[in-house]
Amino acid sequence: MTEFVYMRPPWGDGEIRKVEARPEILTPLMVAGWSQCDPPAHNEEVKTDVHD
Amino acid sequence: MSTTRLQEVLICFGKGKQVDISTAQAAAAMWRFTKLNASLINPKLATENDADEYGKGHEFPTVTYKTAWDVGCTLEKYLGAEIGAWAVCFGLGKVVKTGAGPYTYTCTPLIPSAGDAAELPYLSYVEQIRPGAGVVVDRQAVGVAVESFQISVGSGPGRANSKISIELVGSGKVIDSATGITMPAATAEKLLPSASLTLSINGVDYVTNKNIVSLETGWKNNIRMDSGFYPGSGFQTAGDGSTGAIRGRLEFGNRQGNLRFVARFMNGSDEYTKLKAQTTGTAVVTLAYDANNSLQLTWQKITYSLVEIAETDQILTVAVDCTPLYDSTNGVLTAVGKCAVDGICQ
Repeated sequence: MTEFVYMRPPWGDGEIRKVEARPEILTPLMVAGWSQCDPPAHNEEVKTDVHD
Repeated sequence: MSTTRLQEVLICFGKGKQVDISTAQAAAAMWRFTKLNASLINPKLATENDADEYGKGHEFPTVTYKTAWDVGCTLEKYLGAEIGAWAVCFGLGKVVKTGAGPYTYTCTPLIPSAGDAAELPYLSYVEQIRPGAGVVVDRQAVGVAVESFQISVGSGPGRANSKISIELVGSGKVIDSATGITMPAATAEKLLPSASLTLSINGVDYVTNKNIVSLETGWKNNIRMDSGFYPGSGFQTAGDGSTGAIRGRLEFGNRQGNLRFVARFMNGSDEYTKLKAQTTGTAVVTLAYDANNSLQLTWQKITYSLVEIAETDQILTVAVDCTPLYDSTNGVLTAVGKCAVDGICQ
């Protein structure tokens, strides 16, 4: 079964990515400054059809 | 009076990492191992005195001052999946943990220019002899980091043919009695024997060829010990300037990887050719207990720096020193430790 892990971009700047937890995938990211992090929190649903 | 044998010494140390360099770990975050060597993590106090000061009427010292504390030791063990994973996690510093048992720890060296820290993860290290009412030794070094790890694999069936040596250095902070640590149960280890080795270096599978004789590989952080003392780095007893300074940081210096091996030399052996051509390639070293307990070190790009033809037990062999290079995509080294233990370096 494929495992996934969440990675935070270097300097904490940018979107979290979900990637396959394989060394050949993780290594270039880790070398580039990406770090493991918790899954992003689910954003609250934002409605666009708000009545006045 | 009974004597105390060194075989009585019990050690445990942080499986997880300290929250910062000066905060001691509790027993719940530690694991216990046996070891092969007699080295102890003796705190060393550096002192100075007033011998050179004028106004005393003579050249002799009259007062001594506690200057600073130092701790460190070497831990030698038969290589197991647990200690192997621990060594690469704490020794390289950047860790991604995956799995839910077994757990896989993928580790690379920290790269400060990419936003990583310049300090390695810290741990606490505890030594006890007869803890309790008849205590002989009970002390805890706080703020310890892995200075180096070195794996050696030899020919032969015994455990001694697959070993790891780990050098530890510390901030100097020590709890030198009544640590309050209850030694955890000994960790069950899955040994990674020499006979399990798979090895591919620069395009050659040395195990399939039945050529490999021995191998050594490791990593050294060259931690900047002196720069750990800076204005405000702290004292052995917080707020008491008479107790001697301790380090407030342990930053790695110019790090070095190493890989050297001895293989049988025969018709078709191409080590010398690759030395002359400075051929580059990967080197993948894998040792395994089973599918769930293993250690793999991948040197992303190596070239040969020394090739010497000699003999081992009257068999012609070649000794090769490799220079690990930095690959622009994959860096220098990726270590993957797999074992049943959760929470290493977390």
